Amino acid sequence: GKAAEPRPAFTDEAVQALLYKMTGIDLHKVFRPVKKELKPPQYKLMTEAQLQEATRKAIEEAKEKLIMPPVLDEREPIDDVLAEDKFLEGTETTKYVFTDLTYSTPHRERFIVVREPNGVLRKATWEERDRMIQIFFPKEGRKVIPPALFKDEHLGNVFQQDRHEDVLNMCIAQFEPDSPDYIRVHHRTYDDIDKHAKYDLLRSTRHFGGMVWYLVNRKRTDGLLIDMINRDLLDDATSLITLYHMLHPECQSAKEAKEGELKGVDLIKVFVKTESQREGYIQLALQAYEEAMATSTAS
Amino acid sequence: RPFFRIVAAHSKRARDGKYLEQLGCLDPLPNVHGERVAGLNLERLRYWLGCGAQLSRPAEKLLGLAGFLPLHPMTVTGAERLRQRRQREQQVGTAPVD
Repeated sequence: GKAAEPRPAFTDEAVQALLYKMTGIDLHKVFRPVKKELKPPQYKLMTEAQLQEATRKAIEEAKEKLIMPPVLDEREPIDDVLAEDKFLEGTETTKYVFTDLTYSTPHRERFIVVREPNGVLRKATWEERDRMIQIFFPKEGRKVIPPALFKDEHLGNVFQQDRHEDVLNMCIAQFEPDSPDYIRVHHRTYDDIDKHAKYDLLRSTRHFGGMVWYLVNRKRTDGLLIDMINRDLLDDATSLITLYHMLHPECQSAKEAKEGELKGVDLIKVFVKTESQREGYIQLALQAYEEAMATSTAS
Repeated sequence: RPFFRIVAAHSKRARDGKYLEQLGCLDPLPNVHGERVAGLNLERLRYWLGCGAQLSRPAEKLLGLAGFLPLHPMTVTGAERLRQRRQREQQVGTAPVD
């Protein structure tokens, strides 16, 4: 039979291009003023050309701000014993943690070992590593002990206040991208957004791509699709479906789309018929959109 | 609250006096997670050892525990002595009961 193509990864150019297009660039939201000292607003007098130049520069800066944080698999726990000296048992009551403080080694390759009271010399676990590295090489925005905010019971409070973006930014500052806590917080946030259909909260931020990737991998794209059609973002809807086909090439709609070379509304219709669970809602939304298009072109 | 600095200095200097370079630290009291935190700048340590520095006995013991040097023989003897003392105490404790 035909050998399956390697599955597209988050970092592929095509995937990133689609996700970036879907994120959208709302300059007003990206450059929302961060709380700083109060200064009276500065007014500048510009010609048309200068204004265009300024907008172009703003879009470039916005592109930098919208670079997506990496999506990695969970890291394997470290379990490596370097030495066993059983006769040391009983001399101490607490363990020693030794960290290598050489400035030039990357944090991933640093030696951090633990000498247990029973004499065993082992490599430190990932949590111990993160703590020690934060103690000796502090990074801004990170605390030595992760704040209680990231526990499941407190995340509910944050979600009720609609501050998903803030919690995700804090999570990126605090945890490494492949730590189980980072992945857990991100998945919980995406689940909550999907449950309440609050997709617009992340729309012009760098977290939107990660959310779309998560939903497409679990085939829960219906809510997002309805939201996009309701906001008249047909291009985004088509790119979402293209991404879905790229990731799940064996599904029915992917094969039909490839045969028929469908584009635009037809692609959405085929997708809705074969793949979605909430077919009725999406058909309604599509109808409303088409009526709105008809009335606007007629008037 | 004690806090030790692992340091490269002239041997005639006072304990807390001027040193050439700080190579690490040790906090002997256990922290919230029950660990005694120690940091060692191994690259600079190797440089000073290469220049011909001698290690003091507590420094040798610490590096032996860390695994950078082989375990110091006094650590082993210390452990043996402690075990024997505890055994003797246990025997003294149980003997009058017998």
